[in-house]
Amino acid sequence: MLLQYSTTLTFVALAAIFAYSFYAVLVAGQLSLGQAGFASLAAFSAVSLAPDPDAVGDVPALLSAVVVGMAVGALAALVLGLPTMHLRGVFLAIATLGFGEAVRVILLNQEWTGGAQGLPVPRVVTLGMAWTAAVLVAYWFWRMGSSRYGRALEAIREDELAARAMGIDVGRHRLSAFVTAGAVAGLYGVLLAYYIRLIVPGDFGFTAAVEGLVTAVLGGSTMFLGPLLGSGFQTMIPEVQRAVGIEAGWIRPFLSGLLLLVVILFLPGGLASLIPRRNRLPALGGDDRRPDLGGVRQHPPAGETVVSATGLSKEYGGVHAVQDVDLEIRSGEVVGLIGPNGAGKTTLVNMLTGLVPPSAGRATVLGVPIGTTPVHRVTAAGVSRTFQHSKLFARLSALENVLVGGHLANRPTFLRRLVWLPSARRDERAALERAARCLHRVGLAEKAGTRASALSYGDQRRLEIARALAADPTLLVLDEPAAGMNHVEAEALSALIRSLAADGLTILFIEHNVGMVLRTCSRIVVLDFGEVLATGTPEEIAANPAVIDAYLGAEEADDVHGGAAAAAGSRPAGDGGTADPVTETRPSRAGTLDPPDATGPTARDVT
Amino acid sequence: MQQFLNGISIGSIYALFAIGFTLVFGILDRLNLAHPSVFAVSAFVGIELVERVGLSIWTALPVVFLVGGLLGLVIERVAFRPLKNRPDAHFAGLISSIAIAGMLIALLQWRYGPDTRRFPPGSFPGTDFEVVGARVTLVQVVIVAVSIALMVALTYLVTRTRLGRGMRAIAENPTAARVLGVNVDRVTAWTFAISSALGAVAGVLFAINVNTAQLGMGAAIELKGLAVIIVGGMGSLPGALIGGLLLGLAEVFAVEYVGSSWRDVIAFGLLFAILLLRPQGLLGARKVREV
Repeated sequence: MLLQYSTTLTFVALAAIFAYSFYAVLVAGQLSLGQAGFASLAAFSAVSLAPDPDAVGDVPALLSAVVVGMAVGALAALVLGLPTMHLRGVFLAIATLGFGEAVRVILLNQEWTGGAQGLPVPRVVTLGMAWTAAVLVAYWFWRMGSSRYGRALEAIREDELAARAMGIDVGRHRLSAFVTAGAVAGLYGVLLAYYIRLIVPGDFGFTAAVEGLVTAVLGGSTMFLGPLLGSGFQTMIPEVQRAVGIEAGWIRPFLSGLLLLVVILFLPGGLASLIPRRNRLPALGGDDRRPDLGGVRQHPPAGETVVSATGLSKEYGGVHAVQDVDLEIRSGEVVGLIGPNGAGKTTLVNMLTGLVPPSAGRATVLGVPIGTTPVHRVTAAGVSRTFQHSKLFARLSALENVLVGGHLANRPTFLRRLVWLPSARRDERAALERAARCLHRVGLAEKAGTRASALSYGDQRRLEIARALAADPTLLVLDEPAAGMNHVEAEALSALIRSLAADGLTILFIEHNVGMVLRTCSRIVVLDFGEVLATGTPEEIAANPAVIDAYLGAEEADDVHGGAAAAAGSRPAGDGGTADPVTETRPSRAGTLDPPDATGPTARDVT
Repeated sequence: MQQFLNGISIGSIYALFAIGFTLVFGILDRLNLAHPSVFAVSAFVGIELVERVGLSIWTALPVVFLVGGLLGLVIERVAFRPLKNRPDAHFAGLISSIAIAGMLIALLQWRYGPDTRRFPPGSFPGTDFEVVGARVTLVQVVIVAVSIALMVALTYLVTRTRLGRGMRAIAENPTAARVLGVNVDRVTAWTFAISSALGAVAGVLFAINVNTAQLGMGAAIELKGLAVIIVGGMGSLPGALIGGLLLGLAEVFAVEYVGSSWRDVIAFGLLFAILLLRPQGLLGARKVREV
């Protein structure tokens, strides 16, 4: 029985290994088709370099070939990856495809590969060996799944920019995923060579690459069992068809195509999505209404400078989004940043968090110079943020989102997980506990297992805050956290922000809900046309005639949005006036917070 | 000179094929991997029309154009529209179009078997011309003329008509286009239809040029088409034209001076160099995705 199907089962294992080489990069959201090229290079070099099985025995010969092949595959991926890792989506796919084709044609024209005749290889691989290798590869990706490294890759797949802001070094992670793919593809190439007895460069062409990709996507690229399932499915279809007596040459490829179509249309996550994902949330002792976040970072003593910016400017094609802003934020402050749409608030915040380099001026945030430091280093220094338009990792659960947020606060666990070190387990539990505390703190504990995309809008805003808190920040930057919240929710948010400040965090937040800003902040900065219009305590701002005239004028109580909708919002083009910014008045402007046309020349917020 | 003219003739077929490819990519941001199978199907259909129905190879062209358009509608409806709201629509569309392509090729195999097919003898006019010492067949002239006419018509369509305006609006921002009253689904369907119709004509012209149709002909041109749209600039129509002609010329001269076995390395070497040095392609505008 088993012998009868031995060939088929061996191919299931081999195809699964090849599919894992696609899975390795799909997990990080990269589409590469170069794996056939890696496999080809690996197979031909391993067969040429490894000792003859007749001389040293089957297993030692195969092992040395595997070592050579995986090294060659990984090296080829590194060499190809260094210049191509900045390419995205389809561009990366085509570049790597071009590489694969170039490898095929070059090998076809070499003496040592036997050209079109190929190289004869002794058959060494058995059913058991193929499955051992497949299981080892699957094990690797299983242990990777819920390690810090694995979660970082998933985060990059879901939202690269947000992942960067969580302190993940996206370039290095993408490259390491690519090199892993190269090594796994190399393993496949060698095993295939030592199984099919003859390899020709044509075995590793475009068709092979597409097969591998299809297998991985069909099985599911978000769960480690996916490639195995996909490979089983793909390999078994022809067998099942033969068993039920379908022989005509065209029906088989037709039905395979049809099944593939059905799976992709009706099972978005591939076959693996049929397997439920577990979500564990550790119980917290007692019902602490305001759990300690368990942070370990030493915040600078109150009053010490956290942010200092001088002459900070950002220009987009001649439009001054932010112009000559001087800003100083001290430890323990809660600073509100207000101003009309297009005033440059988000641009300013993007510069301070390292996402956008300034065109002029200098700023230091927590001792890190802005503009030259990559985002993940700024985050590492203790800056954490939320985004104006929520940038959650949509297909991850709330808890997983927060776990990614804790990337820098947690220790890497993947390699220790591979060998089941108890310390890795302890670290994972600590990370989970911290994430659970952050969720508790914002009131989302019971939604831990919900997908981020399934949360209500207000919950998504809160989840963003929890995710930012997980990084154990000193400076927390919130970009319109109360947008879309009702009065009760906004009040709860205000209380949360004040309690975080009481814990020693410094908070900078952009908000249109002026009532909330006045109640929450210790100091307010008003921005208009990219310049600082006024700065002071809530009382001073509320009483400042320039601010009232330019900005708060129409406001009665908290009825901000009603006023905005009624206003005709005619804003003059940025006149770049040289008048004293505090006393300057702009007579023609209807005083609104939220003019319906945000098409002013400075409406170039980056998020 | 002879090589130059041969290169132009094969290059204009590549260009026509690639323009169909890049049209869908440029406007809808999707790579339709069923495009090469339309190329193959139309070649077989063209031969069938000439052989069974008795059309001349020239009257078969508009019929094939329509058949291609219909196939495009089917591909859009089955492989792309159901996936449009999925977060991984890129990957999913890629895979579903691969699935459709496999099914189309399987149907071809069912109808025609695995063998190479040719036009019936006597389908081609024997007229030749002498151009500065090189021999040009009427077939080559027509291939270039048809390709140029279709590209001019497409340019007019995209830049001057209401449908073209809808296409450009969707390329810029699908959501905004929908809000502003563009019927996104209909424009999308038209885009696929036109794209596939161009691919279909390219397929039948290719079959005329070499007088063969094979099941694998789509796969063979697929990579070249991808290379052309990258070299020319993703989504750029003039870029695809120039890229196609360049590739045709490069191939012909590579065979002449380097040897036929190295022909493909030149195409992919060029592709690779472009991707590294100028990822937006020769004529592509750098599309900045706002963060």
